[in-house]
Amino acid sequence: MSDTPQTRQASEVDEPAETAPTTTTTTRTTTTGESDERVREEWRDHEFAGPAKLSVEDLNVHYGDDHALKDVSIDIPERSVTALIGPSGCGKSTFLRCLNRMNDRVSSARIEGSVTLDDEEIYQEGVNLVELRKRVGMVFQSPNPFPKSIRDNISYGPRKHGDLETGLLARLLGRADEDEREELVERCLRDAALWDEVNDRLDDNALGLSGGQQQRLCIARCLSVDPEVILMDEPASALDPIATAKIEDLIDELSEEYTVVIVTHNMQQAARISDQTAVFLTGGELVEYDATGKIFENPESQRVEEYISGKFG
Amino acid sequence: MAGATRTELVRQDTSGTDAVAAVAVAISALLFGLSIVALADLVSITGSVAGVPTVSLLGAMLVLLGGAVMAFGVGSRLEAVSTTPDTTAGLVAGVAAGGLWFAVGSGIGNVLVGGLGAAVVGLLVGAVAFAATVIPREDIGSTVPIGALPVLTGLVFLTGTLGPEWVFDLGWEQGASLTAEFVIPVATLFSAMIAGWAAAKAYGGFGARGRHLGAYTLVYLNALSIVAFLFVLVAFTVVKGVPGLLTGAQFGPGAGPSTTLGLFGLELSVRLPFSVPFVMNGVALLNDYQGVLPAIVGTVWLVVGAVLFAVPLGVGAAVFLTEYAERGRFTQAVEVATNGLWSTPSIVFGLFGFAFLVPRFGNGKSLLSGMITLGFMLLPLVLITSREAMLSVPDEYRDASAALGVNKWQTVRSVVLPAALPGVVTGVILGVGRIAGETAPILLTMAGGTFIPGSQTVDVIGGFEFTASPPFVANPELLQATSALPYQLFALITAGVGLGENVANPDEFRWATALVLLMVVLSFYAIGIAARYYFRRKLRYE
Ligand SMILES: Nc1ncnc2c1ncn2[C@@H]1O[C@H](COP(=O)(O)OP(=O)(O)OP(=O)(O)O)[C@@H](O)[C@H]1O
Ligand SMILES: [Mg+2]
Repeated sequence: MSDTPQTRQASEVDEPAETAPTTTTTTRTTTTGESDERVREEWRDHEFAGPAKLSVEDLNVHYGDDHALKDVSIDIPERSVTALIGPSGCGKSTFLRCLNRMNDRVSSARIEGSVTLDDEEIYQEGVNLVELRKRVGMVFQSPNPFPKSIRDNISYGPRKHGDLETGLLARLLGRADEDEREELVERCLRDAALWDEVNDRLDDNALGLSGGQQQRLCIARCLSVDPEVILMDEPASALDPIATAKIEDLIDELSEEYTVVIVTHNMQQAARISDQTAVFLTGGELVEYDATGKIFENPESQRVEEYISGKFG
Repeated sequence: MAGATRTELVRQDTSGTDAVAAVAVAISALLFGLSIVALADLVSITGSVAGVPTVSLLGAMLVLLGGAVMAFGVGSRLEAVSTTPDTTAGLVAGVAAGGLWFAVGSGIGNVLVGGLGAAVVGLLVGAVAFAATVIPREDIGSTVPIGALPVLTGLVFLTGTLGPEWVFDLGWEQGASLTAEFVIPVATLFSAMIAGWAAAKAYGGFGARGRHLGAYTLVYLNALSIVAFLFVLVAFTVVKGVPGLLTGAQFGPGAGPSTTLGLFGLELSVRLPFSVPFVMNGVALLNDYQGVLPAIVGTVWLVVGAVLFAVPLGVGAAVFLTEYAERGRFTQAVEVATNGLWSTPSIVFGLFGFAFLVPRFGNGKSLLSGMITLGFMLLPLVLITSREAMLSVPDEYRDASAALGVNKWQTVRSVVLPAALPGVVTGVILGVGRIAGETAPILLTMAGGTFIPGSQTVDVIGGFEFTASPPFVANPELLQATSALPYQLFALITAGVGLGENVANPDEFRWATALVLLMVVLSFYAIGIAARYYFRRKLRYE
């Protein structure tokens, strides 16, 4: 995004928003989804029972001069599915990547604000990134299996964490966890609805799988390190309806034990699987955050309603 | 074939005329090959092929080729052949035809008028050819001026105007001259190439398809000539080298020297079923046949040592630069330095080894100094190629690994390095080819007597000894001066130290040394290719 639309928006925002914020007459929406509607604090307050697993406070992300996320504050409840929706380029992936500090790996990124996981600040000195990413797993927007066998892809994380011993030395000492590994591979693949398709070729290279299979393999790989929070960036975008349905069932199951945050472009999917939905709109703003039913049936924001009904984005 | 179907559908009954164009393409390919072979002296210009004098054969084929091309073009213009020509053959074809005809014209002019007149005639002829190419429709423009060229060349050859004995004095101070041996194949090469291009265009029926086929033929002929050159080079060395290599060789059971294999205390004595003194002997007074075994062993150990030295260092540095160092001034400086190091002349490395390493390792030329010097030479290439290979590993792999909570070093070791290995191996292959053939650094750092009777074959493995004081191992063999194949060849050619007394036929000996060097380098190459293939297989899903 260039700066001009944002500055224009900022200068025009004040006056009409004061008078009648939610009526259609005062809201002009352009094709790009910009409008002079003012975002209200209370649209983003979502009350829920139980403790917050992740709590984000005034998160700002800049890529160089590009302000990609603006003052995002949001609490994500434990053991639930939170959907993030919004038009392309609005910062959903950026937001997701802040939750396990993957944005640290982008050298141009500058992150301000606070994110707590179980009331512990993850943006502070001395955070063990390895431990954090073990607890907050991630499935990427495009499938990225390693150029290794299917089995090695799944067992990679546990092996590197020392939970599985399969090296030469362990084998020589008779301490190899072959059985545990096979169990783990099978369990993860089953959970990701891939087992039936690949159980006879676990030694084949994962790059030989179809795009959809690769994506499910990535989900299985993410499950293998037993995370507490699972971040998914459009996990179903490369899948057919059947595999999508399997993944959705899986997410449903996972939410009993895990906290799932999922980005999706598919409104029906968000409506089907999520407990609460956060809507980001162009410019990196979180516009509205509420229970999924409320967002899809009766959103407060005019722009969100238009986005959901397909008028832009 | 899609093309064939299309021809049948669109053009009717053109198989006969198409065949003319196809034959023309074939003739030009044949001529192309012949002229390369003739350039390499494998076919003599003054001699004959299958009873026909070579020059006449080339001439006849050129006339045939040019005639076919021109006939096709004229036929197409007269609508006897259905083609789809453009309005003009284009500027590039015009410039090419003009240039070639300028050369021919000035040659003729030189014979007829001489002096400045030659240039005038050349320009005139070139201009006419240019006009004749650019102005008429494509089917005439790209066949007649170009087809006339091989016809003329062929006639010159046939009539003996430019026979095998012809010499053209360039009139330079140094007395350089062009002989028929050189001019005839070169003229044939160019005529065949451009006529082949025209024939291919004609075969495609001109227009877009013709252009495509023409370009394809040119590119193909070029690639072919590279392969042909490599083949000629190897064949030449093999033909020249085999007699020397097989001097005194014996085959059959019990022919070879006996070798003892020791395995777990079991000693097994085998007699090899062959004996090739050239690669099994060193040079000694009492030898029936002299050989280059010390140099072969020296070269092999040299390469092994240099690789062992350079690969860990180079790959390590590449890991640091790509994975750990922030991209910026420092990495840029290292990059510039590495590239500079790679372009540094080998004699400078040799001098460094001579001044710095030799005094530190026993104060004499030694295998170890040679290994390290060549290792330094290999280092920049390993670093550059490893770095490229690691940079081309997709960041997605690193992200995926990091997202699983795997730390950086483990990611590098288990994901990045395996994915980069084929590239690293390619770099090592290229580097080994270069260092195995180095002469200058060896000359300064490790070569002992090339042809001194009794020159030793180093026994690096057997040379290891345990000692009582740190570092507890010693290897006097590493500190021996020894020979290597390229250096031996160099010494054989320049000095020929004691050659007469030791070797019956020095020339054969030299070629055989060259052949062995080629074989050693090619076997390293083969090992490298096999390794790369293996690592690639592991990464892909065949
Ligand atoms: N590595 C990066 N470097 C610089 N700018 C970036 C980078 N990643 C994202 N951006 C910018 O940040 C903004 C938000 O990008 P982000 O990837 O978060 O969008 P998104 O909502 O995930 O879009 P999509 O739905 O298309 O995936 C975009 O304007 C993008 O150009
Ligand atoms: Mg995204």
